[in-house]
Amino acid sequence: MKRIVGSVTEQEKKEIQQLFERRNGLNELAKILNADNDALYQKLIQDMGETATKFQQWWDCMYEKYKWEKAENGNWEINFNTNEILLVE
Amino acid sequence: MKQNLSVQIVFPSYELPKEYLTVIGQIDHTIITESTTPTLSSKNSIYVHSGLTNLPQFDFLKDLNVVIRCKFSEIIHGGHLIASVFPFVRRLNIVMTDIEVINGEDLDGYNNTLNSLSDVILKEYVRGHFVQTNLLTDRFMLDEMNNCNAGIETITLAPDGKFYICPAFYFDSGDYGLGDSCFNVGDLENGLHIPNIRLYDLEHAPLCRICDAYQCKRCVWLNRKTTYEVNTPSHEQCVITHIERNASRSLLKRIQEKTTLLPNKVIKEINYLDPFDIKPNY
Amino acid sequence: MSQQTIFLPWQEGSAKSITFIVTKDCQLACKYCYLVGKNSKERMPFEIAKGAIDYILHHEEIFPDESVVWEFIGGEPFLEIELIDKICDYLKIEMYRLNHHWFNSYRFSFSTNGINYHEPRVQEFIHKNINHLSIGITIDGTQKKHDLNRIYKGNGKGTYEDVVKNIPLWLRDFPYGGTKVTVSSKDIPYIKDSILHLFSLGIHEVSINCVFENVWQEGDDILFEDQLCDLADEIIDLGLNEDYQCSFFNDQIGKPLDPTLFNQNWCGAGKMLSIDATGNFYPCTRFAQYSLRDKHAWIVGNIYDGIDQNKLRPFLTLDRLTQSPDKCIKCEVASGCAWCQGENYDAADTPTIYQRSTAICKMHKARVRANNYYWNKLHRKLGIEEEKTSKHKESMCSEYNSYC
Repeated sequence: MKRIVGSVTEQEKKEIQQLFERRNGLNELAKILNADNDALYQKLIQDMGETATKFQQWWDCMYEKYKWEKAENGNWEINFNTNEILLVE
Repeated sequence: MKQNLSVQIVFPSYELPKEYLTVIGQIDHTIITESTTPTLSSKNSIYVHSGLTNLPQFDFLKDLNVVIRCKFSEIIHGGHLIASVFPFVRRLNIVMTDIEVINGEDLDGYNNTLNSLSDVILKEYVRGHFVQTNLLTDRFMLDEMNNCNAGIETITLAPDGKFYICPAFYFDSGDYGLGDSCFNVGDLENGLHIPNIRLYDLEHAPLCRICDAYQCKRCVWLNRKTTYEVNTPSHEQCVITHIERNASRSLLKRIQEKTTLLPNKVIKEINYLDPFDIKPNY
Repeated sequence: MSQQTIFLPWQEGSAKSITFIVTKDCQLACKYCYLVGKNSKERMPFEIAKGAIDYILHHEEIFPDESVVWEFIGGEPFLEIELIDKICDYLKIEMYRLNHHWFNSYRFSFSTNGINYHEPRVQEFIHKNINHLSIGITIDGTQKKHDLNRIYKGNGKGTYEDVVKNIPLWLRDFPYGGTKVTVSSKDIPYIKDSILHLFSLGIHEVSINCVFENVWQEGDDILFEDQLCDLADEIIDLGLNEDYQCSFFNDQIGKPLDPTLFNQNWCGAGKMLSIDATGNFYPCTRFAQYSLRDKHAWIVGNIYDGIDQNKLRPFLTLDRLTQSPDKCIKCEVASGCAWCQGENYDAADTPTIYQRSTAICKMHKARVRANNYYWNKLHRKLGIEEEKTSKHKESMCSEYNSYC
């Protein structure tokens, strides 16, 4: 079950959307890059870590700001079209 | 001659047979002829001079209408040669033959040349000789577009008996893309037929209709060559004509300071050189 | 709370569309296909694709768009899946290596006939790039309608059975996948059944349009209107409007357009870029020679010399009024009437993009009449529902609005 528990600003949405896209891009890039291309591979590994951290920080920061309702074993989703935050249980 | 039609006849570089001259003499006309061609001298004649190199040797008769056809680089480096003509002529039109190859680096040089020419024109105006030139003084007199209007107001009949939008479409045999750029629009037997004639009209030129570089010839042949569309000027065309427009503005202000001419005329300041940059976003 | 998940929308509108014409070959010989110059010889060499990518990615200043859609078309693009895979890998690496802003916002897009969608090489590619893919399978509707036009090259056999078997697999990969249906004169009688059939296959979004070419016969508009009205009845009576969309019905169409307010061009040609096997650039694929019947290709540059911006100026300054005849400007039902710049160019009296073809005029008017019928009927139904169960008013309205 999903229900709306809040929303974020357009700017905040853009931040997480960019991180989301970047994370997906890095994951798919990781499937084709290997250690043969050492410099780029190292950059990728570091980038994946940094992006994952920033991703989590965004959610933590937004939760601090908006105090959305949460649930045991639930998770939040963001709708990029409406900027709404949904609680999925 | 009916319907206010006027005829301009482009003479060849050789002498025409007498019977041609007899026929031509029967109608009102203007002669366009190379400056070196032996022909009838007339105040209504327009003398076309190719290049600048032998300009000082040419014996300009007072009050002639002269056209100089030359390359852009010649204008930049030969401004003093052009300037030397102003005191002798009624009107000097300068036609660049290679506007499509201009690059950004030449534009400052062009601006400098126009400023030098302005100095000479200003002197002429102060001494009461109101010489005209398409690059600098036409814009003073205009409150709306004064384009070539080929296809709308003028049409060309070529030696092959066919009609063309303008002489350039007859003489041009280049292929710049989209097929033959030498195309006719009718002939003497079947009459004139200009498909998509509205595209030669200002209202159907999205950039030109918002532009106030009124002195621009808006050459439809050059448009076709550079952008594929007769109604769309190239970036270079627009920039060149706006440099001229802005130089006209400066010259106008100097003339107003030094004389009593054109006291109320205003050419407003603008901050672009290509109307493409201010086109409406619908 | 567990790890957050996020919906997967895509920001259309702010994306540059860059198209690789990877092959001019196709297994099909669709009767309405505008690609008059298809052949099995012209395949894009990887070096040409690489040259195009290098040029584009190194000229970020002329491609400032926030996002990019790398599109692959043919012919049938999946005939060249190995080439495409190599191109996509190169794109990903280069966008990342160059720190290009598009690495954070790109998609790979395909419009396929669906014949070889199930093949291992295609499936492997899909799963490798699943988060960045948009794939549409073209299926025209019922077997009868589909096979009327979409036939195999050579034996002329219909392709429906080979396409429809891949639809469940495709919908598993892309649950929100939509399909594009093209209507020409001969298949008008099958429109209603075809749309309903596509809905029954689980396709929720059907984009549909009449071909822009001058193929329409006397009376086609009346038949077309009848079909759409019948379709409207079925959709509304069965309540399909709540979950399914057919682009024929849109409450924004069929109104006069104020010339001072609505002067934008319909088509995106010129804002897109298309690259062929020789490395030439086009304002859209429809301007490549294999798409044109009567005109010369409109080339705007190549991978070696770059883009000639002057050749794009006519596209970027083109507006509705300048290219439209008087009857379109004054038309009482102008909104939603589409045009294809490539077809306009191909059909024009001179080599110009400034002469709008009006071959579709009577079909648009028929669509508007049926569209009005649809919305009137839906409004009436909603009104009745409202009276019956006022407590549902809010949700019905919300459904109605989201459908618009």
